[in-house]
Amino acid sequence: MDKKRAEHILDNGVKVLAEFLPIKTYLYFPVLYSICVWAVRRIFDLKERVLAWQVWLEPGMVESKPDAFILNFFERTEGVREAFAEEVRVKDMAALRKAFAGLYPVCGLEDAFLLALFQEDLEAGDFRKIADEFGERTARAIEDIKPAGSGQEFWRGMQSVGMEIASLGIHVMSDVQVRKLILERIRKKVKKDED
Amino acid sequence: MISPQSPRSPVFRAFAFLAVLLLTGCASHLKQAKFHYSEGQLRTRAYETAQAAASYKRALLEAEKEVRSNPSAQAFTLKGLAEAALERWPDAEKSFLQAFTLGFAEGEEWARDVARLGLSSSLDALGLKDAALRSLIDLVDHAKFKPARLEAARRFADLSLAAASGLDDKEKASALAAVAKTLEKLIDGDFACGFYHYLLSQTESHREDYRKSFEEAAIARELGLPAEKVLRDNDLQIVFISTKMKERLSPDEWQAFEELLGRWTRKWGWRDPLTPNWKKE
Repeated sequence: MDKKRAEHILDNGVKVLAEFLPIKTYLYFPVLYSICVWAVRRIFDLKERVLAWQVWLEPGMVESKPDAFILNFFERTEGVREAFAEEVRVKDMAALRKAFAGLYPVCGLEDAFLLALFQEDLEAGDFRKIADEFGERTARAIEDIKPAGSGQEFWRGMQSVGMEIASLGIHVMSDVQVRKLILERIRKKVKKDED
Repeated sequence: MISPQSPRSPVFRAFAFLAVLLLTGCASHLKQAKFHYSEGQLRTRAYETAQAAASYKRALLEAEKEVRSNPSAQAFTLKGLAEAALERWPDAEKSFLQAFTLGFAEGEEWARDVARLGLSSSLDALGLKDAALRSLIDLVDHAKFKPARLEAARRFADLSLAAASGLDDKEKASALAAVAKTLEKLIDGDFACGFYHYLLSQTESHREDYRKSFEEAAIARELGLPAEKVLRDNDLQIVFISTKMKERLSPDEWQAFEELLGRWTRKWGWRDPLTPNWKKE
């Protein structure tokens, strides 16, 4: 894969984000990372689907899980296991169920946008913080992205980034490499703007 | 997480959108209401919540004019959808009930199913769980519009499983058996629908019949699931079942199960029998 080209495309993506979300830099990584994940699966046309009035019916998942499933999630998920060791030991299901609602989408289902949104906490191993702040932070991210969503240019720019990234064959890079590359480009742009 | 009955839920928006899109034979207020409602959905999709709310309010005003000048099941359905989008649940409930009172014309089965689904959302949001459940069961049994039947089945399973978790062991076993029976009936009618197998797998997990749960989850994965989130949840169900099976089975039985699991997971391209391919390394 042409790394220079990938950097150039990501720089363009950061530029679009900086134009539409100038002070919401914390959203750059989740948006760009999600686009790269979707690009691997050749998904570029979300906005077009909306514009074309093609709404796909997607039945949701069953949210009512048995205690055994929730306990198993806490016992098997690295980091989460250690953070909630006491609740698991005494089988405090009320506390575990509450934390599960925030941790399962991030650490279980591994939603790309959420993984990136909580990356710092994941790296710091602060799983309690993720559980406590999940609702508030996801709601704020949705609110903050609103200004960008009002313009067609933003979606076109993001779509273009996704298509170009996919054409480069980004799937050959590991997830860690992709994340590192995106963060490098964002930091470079933010530093340049600060200077 | 966004609840299915929330106006931000993709499922809710999708049903509501279809309701608007498919309504036909409309007067000008109804047309205007449809236009504004669709605009609200577009805005919601673009995360423009304030503008979306404004569009829903305009849709509601137009729908109200329509029900005054030309009351019809369609008009009340649209009014109910706009009210539900604005989270005015008691009003939405009244509108959907009014739509049923007026009756749907021939060829409007889909609209009736959507209105019924909207009604069950309103009842659930108002805390009338039993009534919501009864409405969903009826929808599961009689809906002709497949997307409405799928979502009704999911909500029926979710509500029933949540309710069963609060019962004593005997009552719980009986309640879960009834849920499984309903889902098996759906599968008998449409075996190729992976989503029904997913729902049954989830239910069998509550019943601690892990082998059956595994079989249903495997069939669901083979037949396909309607959303990435559901597919991943189904995969994690398979991982969970595998760990439970290891605890419960004798070494010989576990070896046989492990071979079976290995065959399936290799077919699905998993990194190992407990690691789906989408899991981060």
